[in-house]
Amino acid sequence: MTTPLLETHDLVKDYAIGGEIVHAVNNVSLSISRGEFVAIMGASGSGKSTFMNMIGCLDVPTSGTLSLDGIDTKSLDSDALAEIRNRKIGFVFQQFNLLARTSALDNVAVPLIYAGIGYAERRQRAQDKLEAMGLANRLQNTPAKLSGGQQQRVAIARALVTDPLMLLADEPTGALDTQTSLDIMGIFQKLNDDGITVVLVTHEPDIAEYAARRIVFRDGQVIEDAAVKSRRRASAV
Amino acid sequence: MRDLLASLAGWGVNVAIALTALRTNLMRSILTTLGVMIGVFSVILAVAVGNGAQVSVSQQIATLGSNMAIVVPQPDSGSGPPRPNDRGRLTERDGQAILREVSGVRAVAPQIRSSVQIVTPGRSATTQATGATPEYGAVSNITASEGRFLTQSDVGSAARVAVIGETVANKLFPETSPVGETIRINRVPFTVIGLLESKGSNLGNDNDDQIVVPITTLRQRLLTTATQGPDDVTLIFVGFEDEDALLAGQAEIKRLLRDRYRVAKGKISPFTVRTTTEIAETTGEVTQIFQAVLVAIASISLLVGGIGIMNIMLVSVTERTREIGLRMALGAKRSDIRNQFLVEAAVLCVIGGAIGLSLAILAASIFERVAEFPAPIGFDTAIMAVAFSAIIGLVFGGYPAIRASRLSPIEALRSE
Repeated sequence: MTTPLLETHDLVKDYAIGGEIVHAVNNVSLSISRGEFVAIMGASGSGKSTFMNMIGCLDVPTSGTLSLDGIDTKSLDSDALAEIRNRKIGFVFQQFNLLARTSALDNVAVPLIYAGIGYAERRQRAQDKLEAMGLANRLQNTPAKLSGGQQQRVAIARALVTDPLMLLADEPTGALDTQTSLDIMGIFQKLNDDGITVVLVTHEPDIAEYAARRIVFRDGQVIEDAAVKSRRRASAV
Repeated sequence: MRDLLASLAGWGVNVAIALTALRTNLMRSILTTLGVMIGVFSVILAVAVGNGAQVSVSQQIATLGSNMAIVVPQPDSGSGPPRPNDRGRLTERDGQAILREVSGVRAVAPQIRSSVQIVTPGRSATTQATGATPEYGAVSNITASEGRFLTQSDVGSAARVAVIGETVANKLFPETSPVGETIRINRVPFTVIGLLESKGSNLGNDNDDQIVVPITTLRQRLLTTATQGPDDVTLIFVGFEDEDALLAGQAEIKRLLRDRYRVAKGKISPFTVRTTTEIAETTGEVTQIFQAVLVAIASISLLVGGIGIMNIMLVSVTERTREIGLRMALGAKRSDIRNQFLVEAAVLCVIGGAIGLSLAILAASIFERVAEFPAPIGFDTAIMAVAFSAIIGLVFGGYPAIRASRLSPIEALRSE
């Protein structure tokens, strides 16, 4: 536990918009240890999403270093980055991003395809994760036949199916009602209690209160990084 | 070994993903496949018809008889229609001179050809009559399958006898044997003495739609054209002993005719002498060009089909940009994305190719039966069809697939 799970040093991401260079992320240095539950907050345009895309290896920094599980990502090619996304990171999106007309089971099994896992094992592992999400009787349902909360739980099962080190959730409750949001936060808290690192991007202050640490972005820089004082607990489903 | 298994398993998954995607847009997939299907169908059928034409032509050459020269009274000016004024007069005496003076000649068969009307009680037919001598049978491999062929005495006595082809026989005597029956040719009564052995048809030309009568009878009783001289003939078949004799004999016949008709040096001879070998060669070339043109035209439809595939694949990539981004986020490598779309295009093409091939085989067999024209589809043609469709898939699916794989994961994921 000596090396942090995630460490950034002077991380910069520039975009050229209309001939002007915009520093979306400007010299961010921070580290996240294993087992943390971090909420990344900020208004839209604050750089929080760009930061998340970089730590999720979906986007490459303009300069600075980013190391994940002790690996410096700067030297990696697109295939190696794909492998890191596959093995070490589980993504949860605001719009769930499930494949339409594809059963819950097949949706959850997709990352295992790219991990090179055989058919039988894929199905078994996908089924286990769905059962853990309380969806044992929804295995064959397509997204259209699932509620928003159920779809997000399928997406969480998919994020977990390769047993990653870190869950990256981008506004996971943005499309859900209050009660369902609470359920989802309960699931994240339980997973975090079981040892997985959770990084959550949100703009809702009350959702951020379920996390243990809050990092606030503004204009591409971190303006606040502190433990959440009165942390809320949600009961898991 | 393990790598190989893993990569095979990876392709299997790609096929599964591709099939799912194709099923999701079933109507679009069917329409796209249709393009390749029609393309493969027309290429295969064009090849088959071309092959058939070649087979048919070699059959036709074989029915002409081998090692034979054909002398016609037309100016020997290469191709182009003969000008009537330039026509020479070919006579039976020329034939006798050829037999006498040209070496290696087995037999000569002078003929007069004329269109005739045949009538039996209640039926009639128009066909071509060949006025010939018994040598005609020997030189061009014609025999009677029933009854007998012409004899020397038929010719000598200008007998009113006819040997008729199967097509004519079927028209005039659909139920009974024609041998021994009486027919009226241009109102003159003739006795049918034999049935010509069937030579089938090729390139729409029915070899059995003809009758043979003695040359003397034809001249005396059936010809009305006043311009014909007493022993003028339409053409002469010259049968040679072997191919070497034929090659040498062609020039000898030309020289002999120039001498006999005193054609001045440098002037075009009014006679053309062609050999069956030459005819086989020219028609072979013609059918090859014919086949090449057919295949070229058919290939255009295959090209259009391929462009259809590319078009649909590009639409598919654009439509599924978000899915591509998601798959990349979940760990798909660029090669995984590229292969997914390549397999999708290949599946479309192979299905289209298979259906196109099956339809072509079906069409060819119908064609053979209805048009009595051979259209053979060989194993090589089938292999070619499959290879063609796979190549179409790779070529036209390649660009969209590579474009999909080059997408940036985050931009793809953000797209709506």
